[in-house]
Amino acid sequence: MQNLSELTRRLISSQVEFVLVGGFAAAAHGVTLVTRDVDICCRFSEANLMRIQKAFVDLHPMHRSQPDLPLELTPEQCVSLKNLYLKTDLGVVDCLGEILGVGNFDEVLKRSIEVELPYGKCRILDIEALIRAKEAMNRDHDRITVKYLKEIKKQRGQS
Amino acid sequence: MTERNPNEESVLKEASPAYLAVADSDIDLSLLKDSLAKTPWERMRANDDALNFAESLRAAMEKRNAKPK
Repeated sequence: MQNLSELTRRLISSQVEFVLVGGFAAAAHGVTLVTRDVDICCRFSEANLMRIQKAFVDLHPMHRSQPDLPLELTPEQCVSLKNLYLKTDLGVVDCLGEILGVGNFDEVLKRSIEVELPYGKCRILDIEALIRAKEAMNRDHDRITVKYLKEIKKQRGQS
Repeated sequence: MTERNPNEESVLKEASPAYLAVADSDIDLSLLKDSLAKTPWERMRANDDALNFAESLRAAMEKRNAKPK
């Protein structure tokens, strides 16, 4: 059973400094395409990475590229990490240090909006920056997502 | 011979604007409008529901298509 909402809730409850990006951010904006993972842009400081580890500690977090390697971060590893691709019992979480088309975490943070969720406030990449990120990625499903995001802007009178 | 549904014409007329909206933009606008009426949290939950439903369908199809041992 996948539960991307619960993964997001855990990140917020553990006070992880992050911005929701990617397909799940697009879903939060209103896109009706289904996404299979949570993509976040986060600060790659030791403290923040340890908060991520703590958030998922009981969900058997593993490195997605090495499925047999559990997530057991050390301070030394934290210094060299640029991205963190995780698999948990509730779904996949990709933690990214920067977003193509937008920039590093501080740039992404500037281009985010705050959304009130039942368990706390969540920062989500704003629709314009999300369009830029998706256009920069330019995969088939990114191009479809851009069509939806532009239509949402139009429906909200933002075009 | 199948008996004609007396409401068929009006049903089709009612359905046509949504159909045209889809054809115009590659996007199902009626689904999009439903989505925009929800809160971000409701949309995130809807994604989870759809994802799990799709997973259960995929598993059911795999089971159906599995060759008996």
